[in-house]
Amino acid sequence: MVQDASPDPAGHTDQSRKTRLAIAAVLTAIGLVAASLVIGRVSSPVDSDPLDSSAEAGFSRDMQVHHQQAVEMAMIVRDETDDPEVRLLAYDIATSQAQQSGQMFGWLAEWGLSQAASEPSMMWMSRPAPGASSHDHAAGSSHEPGSPMPGLATREQLQRLSENEGPDAERLFLQLMIAHHEGGVEMAEAVIERSSKRVVVDLATSIVQAQSSEIELMERMLAERS
Amino acid sequence: MPDPSKPTVQQQREARRAEKVAGLQKQLATQRRNRRIGIGAAIVAGVAVLSLAVGFIVVGSTPKPNPDDIDIAGLTEFPGLTSVHVGPEPVDYEAAYDMNPPAGGDHYATWLNCGVYEQPQPNENAVHALEHGAVWVTYDPEALDDAEIASLRDAVPSTYSVLSPFPGLPAPVVISAWGAQVQLEGVDDPRMQSFISKYWKSASAPEPGAPCTGGLDGAGRIA
Repeated sequence: MVQDASPDPAGHTDQSRKTRLAIAAVLTAIGLVAASLVIGRVSSPVDSDPLDSSAEAGFSRDMQVHHQQAVEMAMIVRDETDDPEVRLLAYDIATSQAQQSGQMFGWLAEWGLSQAASEPSMMWMSRPAPGASSHDHAAGSSHEPGSPMPGLATREQLQRLSENEGPDAERLFLQLMIAHHEGGVEMAEAVIERSSKRVVVDLATSIVQAQSSEIELMERMLAERS
Repeated sequence: MPDPSKPTVQQQREARRAEKVAGLQKQLATQRRNRRIGIGAAIVAGVAVLSLAVGFIVVGSTPKPNPDDIDIAGLTEFPGLTSVHVGPEPVDYEAAYDMNPPAGGDHYATWLNCGVYEQPQPNENAVHALEHGAVWVTYDPEALDDAEIASLRDAVPSTYSVLSPFPGLPAPVVISAWGAQVQLEGVDDPRMQSFISKYWKSASAPEPGAPCTGGLDGAGRIA
């Protein structure tokens, strides 16, 4: 109607411009939210490299330390006994765990992370696994950051191992290595709960399998020598 | 005589004016509503932009730089070192490589076991530990008190590090890895942790991950 348009044409266009602006602003906001969701989905979890404080990085650092001590113990017992069964087991443990340490070393390099942690050891295991209830966390891996890794032998125990020989050294080695493997399995299971990184989960899974079966073997060997 | 059922001219004018006023008020109300919608939308957009920016910072932040990109003030590097097993004659690292204490070069066949030592250690064995990726923290026993030495023990990594006194050191504390060294002002010098982040077990050593156990336990080892 002519009369509707005539009173204030300027105010009318002003009004519709404001409406258009409002619609544009809302659409922009929706677009930004959508874009941020897409970017978040694309850029985070699954395929990106683990960060410095990730469970993957913590596992790679702490498990290298853990594995390197297993290598050390295996090399010591090979010097202290002629028993072919124990020497063969020690050879197996030393070579496989040295190789696995190298894998973890390589991951950290590939992810652009320092071999040195910027936080106390085992911090990654003290954080709850995604999906775990607080009860699970309290009952399961309640690790104090900076406390010794599970199953790690003390310097005195290593000293004692190198001072013994023959069946005494074999028994001590088996006892220490059973505890060491149990700790290793615990750490590997902890990273499986916390990671979806394929190389990490694959290695951790094979550690759980190999060390669990070696624990059974060592318990039999220890019983035979007691 | 005017017809009472018909409005007077004045009444008609007033009615038109009222209509006009009502129209203007309605228009004003619409404008106000649109302004409110506009402001609301702008706030929504602003919050979205802000959360996007915060999200980027939180998700994308890498607080720790790539070890290759860590800059350390006063760092001395020794590129292209030889790594021949020599002995039993000692190596003069100052004459051969212009380094004191040693940070790589030719060395004895036996490596020094990593750990904490209360006595000075043979350079040629310690350098072999550096070849395996260890860092060597040396301190001037004249410059540090017992509490400072104890704090160094807490600061070095539990494996792949050697801590030992080194009489005549050019600084209170010197930290060395294969081919790299920095002189520290004291036990609290923050460059020590930067150096460890960059060089501890790093691929810049010729044989990182080779053992730092099973070699020589030097004199005065306490941990």
